[in-house]
Amino acid sequence: MAAAGVANDPAEIARQNARSYEWQNALQRNAVPGFVSERLRHTAVGRLPWISTASPADLLTLRTHGIRTLGMVAGNCWFHFGYSWTEGHRDGWRTAIARMQHEAGLMGADAVVEVRLNTRRLDDGGQRDSMDYSAVGVAVTVAGFEKVHAPVIATVSQLEFARLMEVGVLPVGLAVGACYEWMADPYGWADVQQGYFNQELEVLAGFQSRVRRSALSAMTDDAHRQQGSGVLGRVQFTEMFREQGGQDGPTQYLCRHIAFGTVVQHRRHDHVSAKPRAVLLTRMSKSKSLEASESVI
Amino acid sequence: MSVPTTAAEARLSHQAIERLRGLRSEGSHEGVFTSDFSVNEFLMVREAGFEPLGLVVGSCIYHVGVQYTSWNRNQEMTVLSQAMYHARELAMTRMAEEAGALHADGIVGVRLEVKRMEWDKDILEFMAIGTAIAHSAGHPMFKGRGGKPFTSDLSGQDLWLLLQSGYRPLEMVMGSCVYHMAHQGVMKSLGNIGRNTEIEVFTQALYDARELAMERMQREAHEAGAEGVVGVQLHEGSHNWQPHVIEFFAIGTAVTPVEDISVLPEKLVPQIVLPVND
Repeated sequence: MAAAGVANDPAEIARQNARSYEWQNALQRNAVPGFVSERLRHTAVGRLPWISTASPADLLTLRTHGIRTLGMVAGNCWFHFGYSWTEGHRDGWRTAIARMQHEAGLMGADAVVEVRLNTRRLDDGGQRDSMDYSAVGVAVTVAGFEKVHAPVIATVSQLEFARLMEVGVLPVGLAVGACYEWMADPYGWADVQQGYFNQELEVLAGFQSRVRRSALSAMTDDAHRQQGSGVLGRVQFTEMFREQGGQDGPTQYLCRHIAFGTVVQHRRHDHVSAKPRAVLLTRMSKSKSLEASESVI
Repeated sequence: MSVPTTAAEARLSHQAIERLRGLRSEGSHEGVFTSDFSVNEFLMVREAGFEPLGLVVGSCIYHVGVQYTSWNRNQEMTVLSQAMYHARELAMTRMAEEAGALHADGIVGVRLEVKRMEWDKDILEFMAIGTAIAHSAGHPMFKGRGGKPFTSDLSGQDLWLLLQSGYRPLEMVMGSCVYHMAHQGVMKSLGNIGRNTEIEVFTQALYDARELAMERMQREAHEAGAEGVVGVQLHEGSHNWQPHVIEFFAIGTAVTPVEDISVLPEKLVPQIVLPVND
């Protein structure tokens, strides 16, 4: 391994401090340190091996669709939400994605495919009001691709990207919509009124659907911002909590919802048939033909 | 039938050699192979022109040393980075030695697992396991660096696809970085109250740690003379270390273009179809 050096030896500490200083300067300028941009440029021209999360099947698209792998790119942003979780989620993701896009730009990429999103949190109590947003993807060039500004961002795999392009659909970016709201319930209206009956908890249901709707409309707005005509492959999470009231205040409910999707551009009345055929998939790997299990009762 | 004794074999235990001999009774019908292949995987490995020889395994139980960190500083924990890398490398090397004794050309479907021992948090167990394979016609091209078997975490199907795309596997490459994220002082935390803002010191820690892990993996591939690294996985783990300590681990299969395309399986003309069951 490249990094040598005894723990806590002064030379090692100095090296790490210098590195840390470069990171600090670079991120403030919305850039990456010199050693990162150099590695990315060397990778893009083949002086260093490319690295990719793609599978071997995806590599075939070089021959069929002229999609050439440049290398992996990444970005992250640890964000503290002081007054707005909703805006924190939006800004955290946008910053992380913009940083990844910047790395891809340094490589001269047309697109970033296979983008994976990830959040991290600390479990040491004091930092529950902040989290890290990170994005990792693979920068590629596409033969005959007309790049507008920055590389396009796609969560789909290289093969799926090729498949979408074949039928005239272009993934352009990632839409995020988040919403977080508190609802105070001083008179207990959200609670069960008469415990013996089947009943809908209308107040809670209304609250939840309001939160979901505003998250989804934020996602739609984000897709608009990117001049998309649609959103694919949406993933979403909802969480609800109840905080019992007491001396300090009434019972409160918290609901948050977050939704992501791949933004695409297509022409609505211009459908190119992909001519689907029925096939037997031989690439359903790792679904074992033998399984054994043991249960203890 | 005796397998010639090599330097690598001398280091393997007597039982391991006996087991491996049973697995490869060169060319005779008495040889029995073992593998963890699924049916499709077995068919595709043979389609790619290879025969399975046997499951090979390497393990390592490692005591991770101590490293002190400054509470309020971002810092790579080099002792831990090196421990995590070295232990994995030992497990991989031992697995490769078993495959060498089988005269394998390579190992596919390698899984690399880390477990923490129950009784001591500083003791970690590393295991590498995969299926050794050999080219049916005995073509020498497929061996990895220095005539050793290639290693790859790709499945049998992926091996076939990789050859189709004009590459062959060289070796698994990896990079590890264990990093300590600075704790924020009280004043700094108070300063953030009521503000929506980035915590730059945390962003930097994760950015740097991920960059180091990827850069090391890439450098290893460069030294192996690879053209690229396919199927990269980026793992994150804390292995029950103290809070604020995280490992970034990058692993993938380094590949190189096939020199002699005449030995490749019949060239595939890929066709994109729409599966209707996903």
